[in-house]
Amino acid sequence: MIRLIARRELTELWRDGRLAGAGGLVALLVCAALAVGWQRQHEIAAERTAAQVLDYDDWVSQQERHPHDAAHQGMHVFKPEPALAIVDPGIEPYVGSTIWLQAHRQSELKFRPAQDATGLQRFGSLSAAWVLQVLGPLLVIVLGFNSIAWEREQGTLRQVLSLGVAPRQLFWGKAVALGGAVTTLLVPCFVLAAAAVLYASSAAPVPALARLGWLAGAYALYFGIWVFVVLGVSARVRTSRASMTTLVALWIVTVVLAPRVIADLSRRWQPTPTRTEFEREMQHDLNEEYEHAWREQFGTSVRWGPDLPLDKWGISLRVDDHAGYGVTDEHFGALWDTFAAQRRFQEWAGLAVPILAVRSFSMGLSGTDFSHHRNFSVAAEQHRRVMQDLMSGDLIEHADPLKDRHFAYQADRELWRQVPRFVYDAPSVGWALRESWPGLLVLALTCALSAAAALAAVPRQRML
Amino acid sequence: MRRPLADARTIAVFETRVLLADRTLWFTALATLVLVLYGLLNGLAQTGERERTITGIVARQAETERGNRDLLRQVMARAVTPDPFANPVDPASMGGGMAARHAIMPTTALSPLAFGQADLNPDYYRVTYRSKATFMYDGEIENPWNLLTGHFDLAFVLTYLFPLLIFTLTYNMLSAEREQGTLRMLLSQPLSVLTLLAGKLLPRIGALLACAVAVPVVVVLALRPESRHGDQLALLMLWAATVASYGLFWCALAAVVNAISRSSAANALVLIASWVVFVLVVPVLLNLAVGAAAPSPSRTELATRTRTITVSALARYNDLLSSDYKFVADADILLPKDGRLQIPERMQGLYLVQRDTDVELERLLEQFDRQLDAQQALVDRFGLLSPAIVMHEAMASVAGNGARRFVHFRDQVGAFHRQWKAFFEPKVLQGLAVTEHDLDTLPQFAWTERPAADARAEIAGRLAALVLPTLLLAALAYARLRHFRPI
Amino acid sequence: MLDAVRVTKEFGPKRALDDVSLSVRGGDIYCLLGANGAGKTTLINLFLNFLEPTSGEVRINGRDVATAPLETKRDVAYIPEQVMLYGVMSGLENLRYFAALATGEQRTRTQLLDLLASVGLDTAAADRRVSTYSKGMRQKVGIAIALAKNARALLLDEPTSGLDPHAASEFSELLKRASASGVAVLTTTHDLFHATQTGTRVGIMKQGKLVEDLSNDDIAHADLQALYLRHMRA
Repeated sequence: MIRLIARRELTELWRDGRLAGAGGLVALLVCAALAVGWQRQHEIAAERTAAQVLDYDDWVSQQERHPHDAAHQGMHVFKPEPALAIVDPGIEPYVGSTIWLQAHRQSELKFRPAQDATGLQRFGSLSAAWVLQVLGPLLVIVLGFNSIAWEREQGTLRQVLSLGVAPRQLFWGKAVALGGAVTTLLVPCFVLAAAAVLYASSAAPVPALARLGWLAGAYALYFGIWVFVVLGVSARVRTSRASMTTLVALWIVTVVLAPRVIADLSRRWQPTPTRTEFEREMQHDLNEEYEHAWREQFGTSVRWGPDLPLDKWGISLRVDDHAGYGVTDEHFGALWDTFAAQRRFQEWAGLAVPILAVRSFSMGLSGTDFSHHRNFSVAAEQHRRVMQDLMSGDLIEHADPLKDRHFAYQADRELWRQVPRFVYDAPSVGWALRESWPGLLVLALTCALSAAAALAAVPRQRML
Repeated sequence: MRRPLADARTIAVFETRVLLADRTLWFTALATLVLVLYGLLNGLAQTGERERTITGIVARQAETERGNRDLLRQVMARAVTPDPFANPVDPASMGGGMAARHAIMPTTALSPLAFGQADLNPDYYRVTYRSKATFMYDGEIENPWNLLTGHFDLAFVLTYLFPLLIFTLTYNMLSAEREQGTLRMLLSQPLSVLTLLAGKLLPRIGALLACAVAVPVVVVLALRPESRHGDQLALLMLWAATVASYGLFWCALAAVVNAISRSSAANALVLIASWVVFVLVVPVLLNLAVGAAAPSPSRTELATRTRTITVSALARYNDLLSSDYKFVADADILLPKDGRLQIPERMQGLYLVQRDTDVELERLLEQFDRQLDAQQALVDRFGLLSPAIVMHEAMASVAGNGARRFVHFRDQVGAFHRQWKAFFEPKVLQGLAVTEHDLDTLPQFAWTERPAADARAEIAGRLAALVLPTLLLAALAYARLRHFRPI
Repeated sequence: MLDAVRVTKEFGPKRALDDVSLSVRGGDIYCLLGANGAGKTTLINLFLNFLEPTSGEVRINGRDVATAPLETKRDVAYIPEQVMLYGVMSGLENLRYFAALATGEQRTRTQLLDLLASVGLDTAAADRRVSTYSKGMRQKVGIAIALAKNARALLLDEPTSGLDPHAASEFSELLKRASASGVAVLTTTHDLFHATQTGTRVGIMKQGKLVEDLSNDDIAHADLQALYLRHMRA
């Protein structure tokens, strides 16, 4: 019965041109976005991989110099572009891609692409995720807004019900049809995405495809929410026109308006410091730690007096560094935890504003969210500390004894080679799921809730 | 003789009463007001925060300078032994960080009107003689997720939401009359449909513009005193004209749709679809096109080249860098004699490395600014395709938060940086001690605003880019309405 | 006053009016009879410039409606079958509005109340929202608007449909008064009785053609009914 209804619905959607027209448009946009995403990801990934190799080669083959200078010159590490950035580039335009690992300072990733772009960037980048999240619901609305209301207006609703079809069977038939229509449109896009992702992740295709699978599930839930909302409104409201008005208003509020308001709220609930505040407080805590460490180690906190000759330079570097690690970890950790808290706030707001939940999960599984970024930053920082410790270790051994001629000491290739190549393994799917599970949970809950609400609008017995 | 103006007035008055009686006007005006005020409030808050940050920086800089001066005096009086790496007499220490001065771009009176690029680009830099690479790349701290979402500022309200509010009042101007049957009653009178439409538009436009234009203007004039005269006032008026034009564009579109289409529902659909196309889709597609036509140079490459430049500089001055460092043991060396000071060769080496790096980097960085300029030029030209783009850019420009003003700032910072280096280079390379007189004559960053005429011309250009399509649509509406039939 | 000169109106392949000519002079009450779809309303719409004739001319007071739409509308008042007004406003406010648009004059409240009283709408009713009105009350407002206009011609579309006999006869009285003062009245109707009682001329339309155009003195009621039915059957 449900299958019959569904089939009839689908035929009608096809015949009146909506499926081909609106649906075709959306599918086209998704494919275009995928093409663009693929080209971008391909370019960036190649560039960064090459640069990373070159960088290490340069490091290793640098001439003899004082290890501290080498540490100041440092090395760059480049964040690898995940294969699924093809589907969802996430926050990439707003975070840097390069860290300069150098002595004395924990750097952040620099060079946000958005800073190199005009204000137009703020309207958004074309990506499959954007099309699906923003325009997808509109498509569902266009296809389904008058699904039940129209039948009521035409009078065919009475006819069908009088044949003995239960209202809820009718509802499920329409739901299947609507969902089926959307699925039909998006399956080719999914295939295209899979092919692109496969090509981009030729080294390790399975995790990438697994991520894509999870993404497909999340988007299915997202569309499911809208299918139920559309049908529920169509069932409850008197006329097609009112149904359209309500749904479009809902779309505008939840897709255009609410995300920004909720971002504001999350900022208010968990404020982030300004750069000057952050640096000042960190510096203050660092100075305290330094003083404490110096007193412990050297018995004085006066730097470079007669009490502290230059043969302690190397050791002092190490003391400073190690004293600083705790402080910087704490401050950056707190900052990043604030970001994470803001994200959670917005994810849970997804119960009312589903786009926030799907956006978070989509980015999380694509590897383009802040958790992945943080993971990379931390790994890079670890590598920097390795490099730094090796340098100061070498200084302590070879340069300190030279006292005043400290800076005449030059290390060579033997030392440079000791610093390992920076190898970064992208986090596993499991890790990504652990970081992003609330988004998926919220989507599932909202889907269930909207299904229940829609069914509540469709009585068991009569429907007029 | 019939006077269309008198008729339009009659209609306008009656329409106002109808709209008020059926609550549409109340709701829409209220919604507009709430949204406008919320957006404006956010803008005011953000501007306030920026200004507080700047005040704080200025205060702390003054404090640091006082501290430096005191320390200098003490060192000169041999009352205190300076830290060799933080010696107020040593130009290498001072120029390299101790005496660092901030280059600050002030907010304008109209900053609260749009966030623009202010959440991405810093409005202050701490300038030392070290390479630009060390201080120009930092951004302000903001959760990237929130950067992606965007802010709820007045520019957002006006660009995205204002058209929708206009639609709720104008989508059925003629179609509702037809559907409820009053159109026949009206058009059986000696009344042209053009006059009718004009009369109906008047109260709608009036109410919406009052909320969207008059309210922010009043708030800004009240809370931002510098907006009351001179260039800022002129810009404010241009802003008002721009918003009005944008609103009129969507009204004109509604007029065309009413002139052509048959049913209110169809009208609403067409208008929403236009909004989706012009405000959501076209900007995203244009962003793509602009990025493809004038792509930014590769930052990865910049990073690589920065390093190779640094490496070659390090190699060039290796001898200086590896020289002896006697200074820690012999405290006397840290004090000036006859105005001269022994600058550690290593410090000189470090200075030269930074200087040479900078010269090379300058060329590379210029490419980025030029490319950004090229992108901006494309946006200016093709932004015409979507009034939303034009509007958004105009808002950012007026608020002093557009891309161009930030580039202007960075240019000035570059010039200040060169000034700073010119001040310190002879001292570092020739071993001249820093005196109190030097502290009095340290280069000071003097912000010069872009020529007001430039800003005005830019916005006037955008205004024209809004007015033109509006006029075209109005002409189209006029042409269709002349053959309008109420059947 | 009201002249249709060899008017044809086609909607694609369908010919709604086929070479129709009729004339209504001042003082005449011309009743146009015909089945649904015969073209009566189309003719009215042509007089109001709601449609353009495919060929022929429609004139009001000697002026071609197509070339002088606004001037011709000054000379004609229109009462549709369903008088639709702005439900959220009162009868008085509606009258004020339409009257102002009709003549360009602003009338005082007293004048408007008098006008409404003359068509049988009392003050209390006049100040109520039109959404509370019955069809008859709305029609009264429509008549008041037409009276306020003081036009030389009157176009009526099925004026008595849905009215009870009392209201219908009141209406007829109004028409007679109007024609007595020299107004040319063209009214479409199904009501044969009303046609014979009130009309001075009668026309019968069938499938876009004017098949009969008679003066009412020429025939008696019984004959008119027979004539009408004969045309309908054929």
